[in-house]
Amino acid sequence: MNNSSNWDWDTKEKVVADINEWKKKFFAIRDIVPSDDGEKIATIVKNEERRFFTCVNGETWEETFERVYSLKFTPDNRLLALTYRDYEWAVAVDHEMWEEKFDYLWNLTVSPDGNSIAVNNRTGEMTSGVCLNGKAWENSFPEARDLVLSPDGKRTASHVQVKPRAELDILGFMKKNYTVAVDGTPWDNTFLNVWGGIFSDDANHVAAVAMTDMSQYTIAVDGSPWEQLFGAVWEPIFSPGSSDVVAPVQTPKGWTLAMNGKPIWGNFSQVWKQTYGPDGQKLAAVVATDVGKWTVAVDGSPWNTVYNQMVLSPIFSPDGKKVAAVVKHKNKWTVSVDGTPWAETFDNIWDPVFTPHGDQLVAKAEKNGRYFITVNGKIGKKNYDWLWNPVLNPDGTKILIRAIDKGKYYRRIVSVNEI
Amino acid sequence: MAVKNAAKEAVKEKYVSRDFKEYVRDVIPDKGLDETIAGLTPEKIEKTIKAVIGGRSSRIKAVMNTCIHCGLCAEACQWYLSNDKDPTYSPVAKMRMTIWEMIKRDGKVDAEFIKQCARIVFTECNICHRCSMYCPYGLDITFIIGMVRRICFLLGVIPQRQLDQAQAHIITQNQVWLSENDWLDAIQFIEEESGADYIDLRVPIDNEGAEVMFLPLGAEPKTGTYHIERTAKIMLVAGVNWTVPGKGTWDCSSMSMFVRDMVTMQRIVRGLYENAARLRIKTMMLTE
Repeated sequence: MNNSSNWDWDTKEKVVADINEWKKKFFAIRDIVPSDDGEKIATIVKNEERRFFTCVNGETWEETFERVYSLKFTPDNRLLALTYRDYEWAVAVDHEMWEEKFDYLWNLTVSPDGNSIAVNNRTGEMTSGVCLNGKAWENSFPEARDLVLSPDGKRTASHVQVKPRAELDILGFMKKNYTVAVDGTPWDNTFLNVWGGIFSDDANHVAAVAMTDMSQYTIAVDGSPWEQLFGAVWEPIFSPGSSDVVAPVQTPKGWTLAMNGKPIWGNFSQVWKQTYGPDGQKLAAVVATDVGKWTVAVDGSPWNTVYNQMVLSPIFSPDGKKVAAVVKHKNKWTVSVDGTPWAETFDNIWDPVFTPHGDQLVAKAEKNGRYFITVNGKIGKKNYDWLWNPVLNPDGTKILIRAIDKGKYYRRIVSVNEI
Repeated sequence: MAVKNAAKEAVKEKYVSRDFKEYVRDVIPDKGLDETIAGLTPEKIEKTIKAVIGGRSSRIKAVMNTCIHCGLCAEACQWYLSNDKDPTYSPVAKMRMTIWEMIKRDGKVDAEFIKQCARIVFTECNICHRCSMYCPYGLDITFIIGMVRRICFLLGVIPQRQLDQAQAHIITQNQVWLSENDWLDAIQFIEEESGADYIDLRVPIDNEGAEVMFLPLGAEPKTGTYHIERTAKIMLVAGVNWTVPGKGTWDCSSMSMFVRDMVTMQRIVRGLYENAARLRIKTMMLTE
């Protein structure tokens, strides 16, 4: 969570960096990433000796590496990267390297408050696990997949293979060799497969999809599978502030949502991407009412309109009264709010953000190769070569625009009502 | 010399079907067929068959009741043609020796029968659909073969290498057991290796908003990174803004489809589209 109230919301425009100048100055530059507050912009630079280093607002890091990847800023505007030199990987934070070195690092993840940095690590023995704030799990596994960080950033989990697997050992697979490891400790129960792990709000519980047989799936919570088994299930979530788990499940009657194993909705052709409203009362999910008829259902009731290609994750307004989702229909993208799509359509649109009162939706969109801000479907006057997601000020009256325009990186502040 | 001759004789040993005497084949040991049937019980087999074919859908009935056993499908089958027109390789015979018998016996077949079904549907049919084109009624024979494959998948009786790839897709969402870190490491290796020849040849990972998302076959990052390097060169020269997914599903193949693992099939397709939506790409480019 960034503390945006301290940011500069008054200066209407700043040219933070001239990217075209960087391209002339350096041998080659790679990914370009702005900080959340828009005040910094970073890139990975390659020099003529094929060494890599980072650059922030034109200032370069003297240390060079054989590889630099996963460049990103934390919510509190510190620069992160994964760096590789002399056969060792390390996390770099604001040009300071962790003392801990690893055989390989991936899935660099930051907690919402920016205080915790977690990453999957591989050891020299080709086992893998998780490293949180520089401290690797005591246990490592033949393989760890995916990194799950608790909301408070204090606990980590990963889907792990428990025992080594011999090549072509098809019979060994049946012995259930996969589980979830939490803070390095594997669950007692193992399964044919696990995925979709997630922590509860209080970080005391972990739920994941568990494959129990070649055709049976369920949800395991802290290692214990639900009593009910299903033909298929999708990724679970926890109810806010509780240990109740909700997941889409496939029954002989169709797909529905189940809480703790028991169906709580009617049946659909498909259900996924369930999400709770801010007060934890309303529950929305993407559903298909029939083949090729996608929409959103709120508390089990689908919208009246359907879309023939895609519906992305539902987004609740802060007061929980409205639900919006990015939809794709007849090859055009737009946003649907409570089932009513915007009149305007786009070649691309990113997930919108509700203003605090829920009356306006702000998003980044693309049309004819140009990028712009849209508010409630109205297209902004100014368009850009590239744009990052807009950020709202705390009262939702101003938009921070981070954009590349004619080769320069701009930080702009505009009123939500005057885009 | 005696040992060599004995070995040759062993190779010539023939398997004659207990249920269909005309079905005679070389003996080919396969762990996926020979050892996986050990744990099967008649109850489990019957339950699985009935779960898959259930009350017999109209699609199954259409094939069973409409087929007049004319044998025209045989001329479509490369297995039949390349085995001296042995009728036991004809598509209609493959149905007769598998699902029709299961239905006739109301699912009461034993493990040895399932093993023979697995051999027929996995190693003597490529599910190419040509037989349906030759059938005067256009019957979907491949659909029937696919159902037998699903029964065998649920019972775990599949030739070893095919089952191994299907298991790889279940766990890793790619067909070669490539770990997350090996996928990323391979991509970074390609960029590093090409560094001497290009100012900066890229295989961009998670490049949001790219025009094209490239989805290789699993073998490319594992044993043929030069394939991906060539793609990178083409993209560079063509000036295409492209990317590969840095997480989730990136292998465009689906061995799960060949064994009719319906859930993993869905996970693969869904995973590819999830990455397309996450990165807001416009076009998916698949190997092959």
